[in-house]
Amino acid sequence: MSDDVALPKPGTYVDSQPFWDGLRERRLVLQYCRDTGRFQHYPRPVSLFTGKRNLEWREVSGKGSIYAVTVMRVPGLGYGGKPPYVVATIELEEGVRIIARIVNCAPEAARIGLPVCLAWEPLGEGVYPAFELATGRP
Amino acid sequence: MSGEIAIVGYAETVIDVKTGRSVFDLAGEAFAQLIEATGVPKSAIDGLSVSVAQSEASNPFYASYMVDALGLTTTWLHLAGSGGASVLTGVAAAANAIRAGRCSLAVVIGADAPTTSHKGVFGAYQPEFQTPTGIGGPPGMFGLLMSRYEAEYGLDRDALAKIAVTQRQHGLLNDNACPKLRKPLTRDDYYASRYIADPLRVLDCVMLCDGANVTLVASVEVAEKLGLRKRVTIRGYAECNNFAGANLLADVLETGFAVAGPQALREAGLTPGEIRTFHPYDDFTIAVMLQLEQIGFCEIGQGARFVEATDLSFRGTLPLNTGGGQISAGQIGLGSGGTNLVEAVRQLSGEGGARQVADARNALVTGIGVIPYARNWSTSAALVLEAA
Repeated sequence: MSDDVALPKPGTYVDSQPFWDGLRERRLVLQYCRDTGRFQHYPRPVSLFTGKRNLEWREVSGKGSIYAVTVMRVPGLGYGGKPPYVVATIELEEGVRIIARIVNCAPEAARIGLPVCLAWEPLGEGVYPAFELATGRP
Repeated sequence: MSGEIAIVGYAETVIDVKTGRSVFDLAGEAFAQLIEATGVPKSAIDGLSVSVAQSEASNPFYASYMVDALGLTTTWLHLAGSGGASVLTGVAAAANAIRAGRCSLAVVIGADAPTTSHKGVFGAYQPEFQTPTGIGGPPGMFGLLMSRYEAEYGLDRDALAKIAVTQRQHGLLNDNACPKLRKPLTRDDYYASRYIADPLRVLDCVMLCDGANVTLVASVEVAEKLGLRKRVTIRGYAECNNFAGANLLADVLETGFAVAGPQALREAGLTPGEIRTFHPYDDFTIAVMLQLEQIGFCEIGQGARFVEATDLSFRGTLPLNTGGGQISAGQIGLGSGGTNLVEAVRQLSGEGGARQVADARNALVTGIGVIPYARNWSTSAALVLEAA
């Protein structure tokens, strides 16, 4: 990611500090509804399931599979990465989807249904969640 | 029939890129055309709906400035904010306002000039949770959606090419279509167009443009009083916002049209097979195919087969976006839903000229608004119109 792209300011939308704190320790921490035991992403001001604010943040495994995938031939608005690059909707084992880049693989290798595990890509001084194919890895 | 609401006039500007004009100037041009075409005294207009414009997105007084720009005094003023569906939600809101006695004659404006001035900032959650993924906006999201369709049902490129080519043939006959898009298009051109977010190609997409469209909404009684002969009756309307919003594992190929489509048709007492002309919101070719499936023209997953087996030209059995749609006429920012609406009203008024559909007795017009995170579009709106 190039330097001329504005970095996100944590906590702009809701209090998302635990997500950003997690990244510093290379952990993926998502919003969790205590009443229903379900994760939601991106984080919301209320639980999508109950409308209440009985929310907390919990680490997820980072294991999941590719639900949908595209090869970006033109960089997304506001993103400094060099195309082509792969972006996918990942369905995590915890029952929540997250959009993220698939790294360390050829564009044509990232296919729907394949298992993935957490990886990281640089963002400013830190990292942002990405995924890589889990095939052939312990 | 008493209590019936009709669209009793329409007008639009030429759609074009980088006009250098403000959205007020463009809306004013369409408005002046409407006054001229209908002969309605300006003082009789007492209601106005304006769709949110990207070019005035930073202006919180936009609707008030518009009513002032046009010199109207109204008892009802509405800012429609459902993205590309705003013109349809505006027409529905105008019909309700008329039924409730809040106004009697309403102008619905869809206008935008995003290629001259784009002030839309899609902030909220995006800077933290969407932008850093590199997915960007609608093209990336539709690349994801198409990939899912491909995995579930297969992606029949011939069908998508047919949608693009048919609409282009229609756009060539539309003097208001964006001049840059008024060039013949073949299947080979479609197949040669480059990928921008696999499997999405350039020719699957709309192009942003400037322009304006207006429709005039009234009760049949008021239309009669004003001597307005042109009447296209509103027979059904339904919308669905944030479909499956609390189901984070929803099938991304299911849309609000599964709800709003059948509901609008039921209200109109029609089946999909009885729809004479179809004017779906077309930001991307796959959206047209998904709507055919979800509204019930064919089974889920059979959209391509239906497209291949159906004559979608203006001479055909289900004429599709006979003005070219947005894909071949241009997308007027967030006022774009009015382009296909105006074409439907034109056809039902028998004013389609070289592309007139024979026996244009009814039309189904749709609107799509806003592409959310990792899901299908937010607003699905369906409007059924019938010729008087």
